[in-house]
Amino acid sequence: MLLKITDFSNQILTQITFELKSGQNLIILGSNGVGKTTLAKVLCGITPSGNVRIGNLDPSKIFGEKRAKLINYIPPKLEIFDEFMRVGEFLELGCFNHAITIDKALEILGITHLKEKTCRSLSSGESQLLLIASSLLHSANYTIFDEPTANLDPKKIQMLFSHFKESHFLQSKIIITHNLDFAYKLGFDILFLEDKRVKFHGASKDFFTQENLNKLYDKSVGKIENNIVVNL
Amino acid sequence: MKTSILLLAFIVLIVAPFTGQIPISPAKLFDHSTMDHQIFFDIRLPRMLLAFFVGGILALGGLIFQTVFRNPMSTPFTLGVASGATLFTAIAIVLGFGGTSSLFAFVGAMLTVIILFMVASRFKTYDSSSLLLVGIALSFFYAAALMVMFYISNLQESYEIMRFTMGSLDIVGFENIYLLVLTSLFLLSLIQYYRYELRLLLTSYEFAYLKGVNVKKLNYILLFTVSLAVGVAVSLTGPIGFVGLIIPHILKSIYAESADKLIVPIFFYGGVFLVLCDLVGRNLGTVTDVPIGVVTSFLGAPFFIYLLIKR
Repeated sequence: MLLKITDFSNQILTQITFELKSGQNLIILGSNGVGKTTLAKVLCGITPSGNVRIGNLDPSKIFGEKRAKLINYIPPKLEIFDEFMRVGEFLELGCFNHAITIDKALEILGITHLKEKTCRSLSSGESQLLLIASSLLHSANYTIFDEPTANLDPKKIQMLFSHFKESHFLQSKIIITHNLDFAYKLGFDILFLEDKRVKFHGASKDFFTQENLNKLYDKSVGKIENNIVVNL
Repeated sequence: MKTSILLLAFIVLIVAPFTGQIPISPAKLFDHSTMDHQIFFDIRLPRMLLAFFVGGILALGGLIFQTVFRNPMSTPFTLGVASGATLFTAIAIVLGFGGTSSLFAFVGAMLTVIILFMVASRFKTYDSSSLLLVGIALSFFYAAALMVMFYISNLQESYEIMRFTMGSLDIVGFENIYLLVLTSLFLLSLIQYYRYELRLLLTSYEFAYLKGVNVKKLNYILLFTVSLAVGVAVSLTGPIGFVGLIIPHILKSIYAESADKLIVPIFFYGGVFLVLCDLVGRNLGTVTDVPIGVVTSFLGAPFFIYLLIKR
């Protein structure tokens, strides 16, 4: 199965074309407001476009479990209308992966103690972990994570890192992030957006050279002893 | 709290048909020759069932509208669906089709939902408060149109329309009750059938979509069914406001459960609430019964405000 977007344009993005093979991972980088989330929503069909194919299916045209299994999107913030829905009840929604139970997913992310709490009462970091737990239970062919580390403490970032690196509960991952060191250490292919377009698409080692970083990040980012740091 | 209100509810349901201007003796109930028997089975019982099922439909309708339009103030009343039904009933009375007013009420309710949907689909981004404003605007429009109906109607018709808008549970016999029970069962079973999807709607539209739900289609189905049921209810009793707004909120704060678990309780207590309001309205010692719409608001509004403060 192949994820393919062909010549997509709207007010924010222009002529976006790339593909991602099943089982491969991708990191999407780019400055604030460049259209990373917009692109994610187009890919998963929340914003219908007609330019996306997964296998030979347009995700915005089909419904039911068949669609859900193609692609999933994990937003940066948990949004819940109901005041009283509990964490356990939330996770019962969309368990397409029968290889893992709700309790197991909670355990992996270290949030078993939250199971009976209402989703609305969670902190932003806890809700982010809850969303990641739901992605394991959903386990689509492609899962897009939109800034998954934004609200996490360093220990949780470590945990998520090893999870992204090794987990067999997730298939292809597309990760949107501003955490360059996180992106660098994962070593996945990079897609860099700038001025509405794909400015770089290629291997991690070609992206994270000091020369390339200087060019793309205007010397705000340095590579020091194999770490990517922001120059302050 | 949960057991005590359940107990209270059953007391209300048992007491209601026996009390009124003419108290009924349970001993004479099954003696066909007595007045008590006739009043109980021809008037009190149908009236109680009418109150119960209309209350249930309005309360559950409120919950569904709140969920679909993602706004705690959305109900078939605040969005103008009930006003649409009222206006069309008035039109039926003026045109001399009083006998088929149910059909007109239903058309009015459906027409309003269709207008709401057409407006919502024109919004660049979906916004529940704008839609609420559209509903309020529609309600004003319908209110003005209702005035026109008053203006062009004769005295007899005017009186009929006015009584209708005040809400009334006067009913004799079971003919209309069957229709109402059937409608209620249809509404309840449809919503039970979509419970899983409903819980998804209670998270966010995006999340529901990502889990495979055809959100638009589901919303259409839910709103169509609720409007159908509200149309039937309003055509039988006139507009009885407020039940749909307060019962879901009260039940949520008592149960502290997500709304998808409260479908049956909300229907049940919505029904009990209206039976209770009717019980109060019939036993105030006034010459005629106090209109039901008056009692629901008098009882409901202070209690609702009390609950909001207590939270």
